Amino acid sequence: MRPIERDLLRFKEIVRGEVKKRAREFLTREELFGQVEGRLVSIPLPQLEIPKIVHGEPLGEGLGLGGPGEEALGPGGHIPVAELELEEFLDLVGEALRLPRLRPKGEGEVTEEAFRHTTIARKGPRGLRHVRRTLKESLKRALQSGEYRPEDPLLVPEREDLRYKAPRRKPIPHAQAVVLFALDVSGSMREEELRLVKTLSFWITLWIKRHFPRLERRYLLHDAEAWEVPEEEFFKAREGGGTRISSALLLAEEILKAYPEAFYNRYLYHFSDGENWQGDTPLALEALKRLLPTLALYGYAQVQGPYGRGHFLDDLQENLGGQEGLATAEVRGREDLPAALRRLLGG
Amino acid sequence: MRKELRLWAERLAERAREARLTFPPVLFEEVGPEEMAMLAAYGGFPRRYPHWRWGSEYLRYRETYRYGLGRIYELVVNTLPVQAYLLRGNTLLAQKVVMAHVYAHADFFQNNLAFKPIPKDMLSEMAHHAAYVERAMERHGARSVEEFLDMALSLENLIDPHAPYVQRPLGEEEKEAPKRLPVRPYLDPYVNPPPEPPKEAEEGASPKPLPPRPTRDILGFLAQHAPLAPWQKGILEILREESLYFAPQAATKILNEGWATYWHTKLLLPLLAPEEAVEFAEMQANLLAPHGLNPYRLGYHLLKEVEERWDKGRFGPEYEALPLGERLRYERPTGEGRKKLFQVRTVYTDLNFLEEFLTPEFALRRGLVSPEDLPRFAEAKKALLFRLTNLGYPIVELLDANHQNRGELLLAHAYEGVELDLRKTKAVLENLHRLWGRPVHLKTVVGGKETLLSAP
Repeated sequence: MRPIERDLLRFKEIVRGEVKKRAREFLTREELFGQVEGRLVSIPLPQLEIPKIVHGEPLGEGLGLGGPGEEALGPGGHIPVAELELEEFLDLVGEALRLPRLRPKGEGEVTEEAFRHTTIARKGPRGLRHVRRTLKESLKRALQSGEYRPEDPLLVPEREDLRYKAPRRKPIPHAQAVVLFALDVSGSMREEELRLVKTLSFWITLWIKRHFPRLERRYLLHDAEAWEVPEEEFFKAREGGGTRISSALLLAEEILKAYPEAFYNRYLYHFSDGENWQGDTPLALEALKRLLPTLALYGYAQVQGPYGRGHFLDDLQENLGGQEGLATAEVRGREDLPAALRRLLGG
Repeated sequence: MRKELRLWAERLAERAREARLTFPPVLFEEVGPEEMAMLAAYGGFPRRYPHWRWGSEYLRYRETYRYGLGRIYELVVNTLPVQAYLLRGNTLLAQKVVMAHVYAHADFFQNNLAFKPIPKDMLSEMAHHAAYVERAMERHGARSVEEFLDMALSLENLIDPHAPYVQRPLGEEEKEAPKRLPVRPYLDPYVNPPPEPPKEAEEGASPKPLPPRPTRDILGFLAQHAPLAPWQKGILEILREESLYFAPQAATKILNEGWATYWHTKLLLPLLAPEEAVEFAEMQANLLAPHGLNPYRLGYHLLKEVEERWDKGRFGPEYEALPLGERLRYERPTGEGRKKLFQVRTVYTDLNFLEEFLTPEFALRRGLVSPEDLPRFAEAKKALLFRLTNLGYPIVELLDANHQNRGELLLAHAYEGVELDLRKTKAVLENLHRLWGRPVHLKTVVGGKETLLSAP
């Protein structure tokens, strides 16, 4: 290994170590949210700075003599930023928070084709010429025509002997996924609770996407009724009436029909304060019993609002506890987020 | 190297010698972008001591190139012979420009006085340093050596750039001392062990102050007197030596680049084929583009100015006495321009080069300032000179290593109207405290008031 590679590895190791150390902090860093659509995540890492005694304020006035704080001369002073690819960043955070790997169910639909050079053709570019096969053809011809002499095995390939590597379409089965977020808007969700929901759903989306690059997202809101909304509407604070959790589950069931179980890993996440109409709970549980076996995961996060703790979480655990595909978490504040995230992802 | 390039290298060297440039042999090597990024990260050397910051730099250069945001055309190392790298895949013209440019740098390294005390065998010296640090890592653990390096690197700029020139008369003490064998600094404690301390201080005799006089060579002082393991002292010596090696390059950036640009233009223009003219013009325009403080641009134009002034006799008391408006029309042909240029190349560094030749006339003619801004010119120039003083770093002196008779370090910042970056300075003081093992204080000015910063 060249010395520079060693230094580079060490540098990356330090960056990775820092990211892991601060994973919990990143979890609630909302300024990260905007970035992740891009490929690289920039993370300020003051630990990578070698401090020196330097002047504080930018020196001097510009005019045509070069502006202040110019980097061309003199030591500059900014906080070092490490850039990481999103996948790497996610893996590090995932590792630090012990997020579980998601395993795709089934092969999924064929959605991509790749070209592999696995076959042979008579025509092709020179760079792809297959020497062994060409010589083999040449040998065959020589043997047939009787030109071949074992004591002087000279082969001169002719035009018709030439063979080339050729591409062949190869279908790649691609695991697909859909994630559906349902949010209970019946009164008790304020800014603070919504922020927790937003953070959770953001990281859930990222993490599922890490495993299923083709991820579709749907959002629905409910109080006593459920309706679908576009993503940007989802996180706006609003007040609603009573609560019927079953309404969300029934609508989810309806929406998910467009994503057949055989081809999709279906994730359903439900955020609620857990205050359900008593009469509705049996209906909700019944709907869930139907739904659960068809889902990769049903994650229920009970966010505790200012008006006390709801019942639905207990009802769930009582009736469906231990069933595969059920993940529940209770969120009271930011400090619960890492654990909640882990549990909601099935960890 | 390709034959064509080799021929051009010879031809350009010949031209340069005819123009009275004097330089040692120059070795050119063509390298790919990755290798160039590596060399740039290592400051031009193929091997440096292991540290992650090279990796970080390397990554930056490599990505910058990969995304087409910039490329390094030229890299030249002040060693004997001078080692220069060309980026493989550049056009022949670009390589010619770089080679001519490099010959002028080589001439500068050899003749400028700032480079006089700089060792010329740095290529092997750097490799020795690398081996030393690697060995320390094997013996004492990579992490603990790295931790020490991180700490020591934050003191990297606490050197006295003039230290290589300093030759103090031998004090009494040194006269009696046994002859010291000249060896590499990090071997010194083994070959020349420190003398036994005197058994008991004489009654009533006041102890000698340490350091005997205030010093800016804080890194050197620590290497000698801090309570550190030999390998740690060795690393401090290494960092000090490398800082001193790079200091003259930083102190002559504008002059050196100006000189090299002046000469590649002079040497290549007559050799240019007609079809190369446009490409050459484009390269020149990029090189001399007015972005911020472009050392190529400022240095080149200042040197042209010096040449013109001395060609036209615009110097001396008679000229100086003229008012600004008339100076531009003054003419007294002497043709001493070239001679003056060589003198400037020999005895100036950026600081006094700009101080002397960055005049209001020049700034006006080059459009650096508009006429109505002229009153502010002096101020802007002062700020620029300040940025060039001590390589842009604050001047910090070690006053006393036994402050208040408690073995504490007392440093002083020579405050010149610009305050320190407090956060970073405090972090450095923490590091210094860990090295010295006793509290450390720095006299400076914070918020307009004299302040003593202390760690811990």
